Amino acid sequence: MTDFISLFDPISIILITIGGILIGLGVHFIPVGGAPAAMAQATGVGTGTVQLAAGAGLTGLISAGFMYSMLGNDGLSNIELVQVMLSGAVGAMIMISVTMFIGQLVYVYCVGVPPVSAKVDKDPITGDIQDIYVSKGTEGHGIPTVSFVSGVIGGLLGGMGGSLIYAILMNAGSPGPIESLLVGPSPATIALAGIFSAGVFYVNAVVASYNIGGTIEGFHDPKFKRVPKAVISCLIASLLCAMIAVPIMGGL
Amino acid sequence: MSTAAGGPAGGGISATNVAILGIVGGLAGIYLSTILNGITETTYFSFFGGIGAILAGVWGADAVRRVCSYGLGTGVPSIGMVALGMGIVAAIFGLALCYVLGIPVVLGPIIAIVVAAIIGFIMGTMANKILSMNIPIMERCMVEIAVAGCLVMIALCVTISGTLVFENSILNTDITILSSVIQTGFIALIFIGGAMIILHPFNACLGPDESQDRTLYVGVEKGGIIMAITGVASLVVIDVIPAMLTIVIGLLIWIIYFKKFINLTKRDAYKVIGTGLLPTEEELQ
Repeated sequence: MTDFISLFDPISIILITIGGILIGLGVHFIPVGGAPAAMAQATGVGTGTVQLAAGAGLTGLISAGFMYSMLGNDGLSNIELVQVMLSGAVGAMIMISVTMFIGQLVYVYCVGVPPVSAKVDKDPITGDIQDIYVSKGTEGHGIPTVSFVSGVIGGLLGGMGGSLIYAILMNAGSPGPIESLLVGPSPATIALAGIFSAGVFYVNAVVASYNIGGTIEGFHDPKFKRVPKAVISCLIASLLCAMIAVPIMGGL
Repeated sequence: MSTAAGGPAGGGISATNVAILGIVGGLAGIYLSTILNGITETTYFSFFGGIGAILAGVWGADAVRRVCSYGLGTGVPSIGMVALGMGIVAAIFGLALCYVLGIPVVLGPIIAIVVAAIIGFIMGTMANKILSMNIPIMERCMVEIAVAGCLVMIALCVTISGTLVFENSILNTDITILSSVIQTGFIALIFIGGAMIILHPFNACLGPDESQDRTLYVGVEKGGIIMAITGVASLVVIDVIPAMLTIVIGLLIWIIYFKKFINLTKRDAYKVIGTGLLPTEEELQ
């Protein structure tokens, strides 16, 4: 039996907490329209925060896992950790971009609305006038440039956070350096790290989505000012999850 | 997207009774299947795990129903996913801790429940105090949802593997949860499936005419489908006969409760009329 207290590796716990905070931040950047956007009555993609964040985050997890299997079988060095995180970030960014792009095609060519934000008069990036294109009785529609850019940043943060958690859990669960050089991490460790990071990802994504109350357009939305509250909540939630997950990964 | 925003949800069975049903039923399902399997040295009793999962899931669905009737602003599925997110972390912690510390596996579900309740309470308090959601029953419901999610996870794991043992020492090759549920990837299936039992009933039935019995019947019916699917998963893990038992019982529960749900829908609807088939092109002219 292993010494249980020594399994609480503080560095791993802190890094997982940072990963959770990154996920919570990332959710705030993603243009979520919820049910109103599904009827083209609000700016953003027409589904809930959790679905969007989970779609992008889990894709990020897959690309991070791919990179980890290339680099990390003998344990991760710092630069390799950054590479795994970037790989996850790119995966999540591609997924969220594709989602927003296809959604945009549907809004423009099928619903027939111009992509426009109702929260700002001018697009902060392109400077295009927004308010005259907003249909009466709606809160904007489609995904304007600023929301698209914001969504890609959200994918970056969320993907980095998710893959950081995954990589740290894998590191905590991998056997000693000599054994891992010979056989690599066991399939059970990979599966356990994957499902733990999915769990932590969902918890943080939902906490962040409760903070924005359903819909947000991106970093130009007034609701974005609520970010500090989400950072505190995600810190507590992921610290809690990390303190549970790290000793178990280490103990097995 | 505030769903049926408003006051507390009413209903026939009180919250406490449903909670007792869920927690006792869930634990009974888990322990009946593992203890009976252990005594008889077979896996025929694995289906009790599925029944436990249904009872715990119905409790979760009732808690979701109560908290979501205040209107969360993010849609019902979010709370179902957070339930299983908290549940899965707590469930694996509880089961794995027994292996890491070398204590009897029967304590696993109890540890998992306690951990899930702590996580749920902190999440609920945070939602009210830091995120100012101001839902009066948030703390209690988050605890209930987390514990229900955790029980559903463990019960479905037991249905697939027929045991509560998380991992063996190196030389022992008996079926364990780690080798049969987690390593095979079935854990992802029961993650989403378990979330469906908890989040789908209220998501499907919400509205001003929502009634408790109709919503919970959807929960039982959903649980029946998930039980049958876990039975299919357990075909490759345990023997064919116990897996078929799980599938058949799951399908029976699904058929019975789907019929009951249809009857209640007819009861609650103002009028149910058949529209017949769509008219053909010639009939339209």
